[in-house]
Amino acid sequence: MVRLQHHQQSQDKRVYLQYENRQPDETVNYNREHPLKEFAWLFFGLLGVVLVGAMVLGFFGGEIAARVPFSVEKDYARRINEHWENKPRDVEGEAVRAALRELAAKLAAVMNLPQGMSVDVHYSPEGIANAFATLGGNVVFYRGLLEKFDSEDAVALVMAHEIAHAKLRHPAASLGRGIAVGLTLSLVSAAVGERAAGGVLQTAGTLPLLKYSRDQESDADTEALAALAAVYGHVGGARDAFGVMAKLGGGDTPRGPQVNILRTHPLTADRIAAVDRMAAERGWRADGERTPLPLALAKLKLKAAQPAKEIPAPER
Amino acid sequence: MDFILNFLDVFLFFGLLVLGFSVGRWKERRHYKSIREREAKYANILAFAVRYPPDVVTPQDCQLVAGSVVISSDYFKQIVAGLRTLIGGKLSSYESLLDRARREATLRMKEQAQRFGATLVINVKVESTTVSGGTRRGLPAMEVIAYGTALKPRVSPTTQA
Repeated sequence: MVRLQHHQQSQDKRVYLQYENRQPDETVNYNREHPLKEFAWLFFGLLGVVLVGAMVLGFFGGEIAARVPFSVEKDYARRINEHWENKPRDVEGEAVRAALRELAAKLAAVMNLPQGMSVDVHYSPEGIANAFATLGGNVVFYRGLLEKFDSEDAVALVMAHEIAHAKLRHPAASLGRGIAVGLTLSLVSAAVGERAAGGVLQTAGTLPLLKYSRDQESDADTEALAALAAVYGHVGGARDAFGVMAKLGGGDTPRGPQVNILRTHPLTADRIAAVDRMAAERGWRADGERTPLPLALAKLKLKAAQPAKEIPAPER
Repeated sequence: MDFILNFLDVFLFFGLLVLGFSVGRWKERRHYKSIREREAKYANILAFAVRYPPDVVTPQDCQLVAGSVVISSDYFKQIVAGLRTLIGGKLSSYESLLDRARREATLRMKEQAQRFGATLVINVKVESTTVSGGTRRGLPAMEVIAYGTALKPRVSPTTQA
């Protein structure tokens, strides 16, 4: 230890001063607590707040949006409608669309759509295996999905499911949720100020949205089954349709873990189980004679079954 | 593979976090060990914040001595600090970082004083400033500078009164 000592004359007193440097006391200036403890509190606390916040915001966002009058939604979605209506169609496309609209009318008649609500069905000749309902009661079917079905019942299940989405105002609710949760999450992630951390919070915040989405799908399934039972006297078409979806991967991720909480749709196996359960509960016949496909859809299927014509190699 | 791609940001985040935590902690321990060793080594050089030399000191040669260090945070500390700024409170993840920086700067100042031949530095001041990397929020890096007046007893004949 090095010390510097001296006496200082201050007025009449002699003051004794001693200077020395000691090793710093390491318990004062910084926290010796394990840093992971603080991280765990902050991170999982914030994660919890984000999850609960997204759930609450999602709920209110969805509820408010679903209470907007359908006419307003329809007006807002005018562009979507125009986009699909004005797409060029060949004779086949025209016929398929007419057949789909006829089927939609048959189903809508038993689905108790609210006053003033109408559904516009569109057809797209693209090979995507999908159908969806969007804002303004617009329902779109792709050729890729339609050519997979063997009976009208199966197409009707999908159609009724999409009409049910429109009836229950799901597209509007999803949009409302998406906006409410998305805006808040972007604020929170900006406040954290680090891109990857913000991304994690955003991902976590969308989990409650996925839960709402799965609930919507289940509700739409329930409505669709009731419509199917009312029109065809049995719900056999649901099995066929879900069978096709299971084969296609039906929204299930083809590879990777089949985790329910990370998905927009319930697992197809769960949906089929729900059909059986509901049929038993409500006394619907689980199976029955299938109605053949409308002519335009049967033609579509036939065309898909034919092998593609070989293009002759150009002559040299 | 699809699963990893879908949640790339989540994997990236935790990967960087583990890297920042493990390497950052290892480097911090190593730095503290080195700091304690050098503090013992330079214990013979006294450094004080007093403005005037003690009056027993004989005529001296004076020189300004300074030690500076630029120190960066690791990803883990940065994330903890980022989360902390949402609710406020002690930024303890940066406390040890700045403690290291202050002590390192002081040690470098003492090293310079020793090279000068001094055993006493007075009027020591420590200042810090953030290093801005031109990014929106600046880099999570700081400069700490410690400076003072080193005193060396004059040995030339002119010191004789």
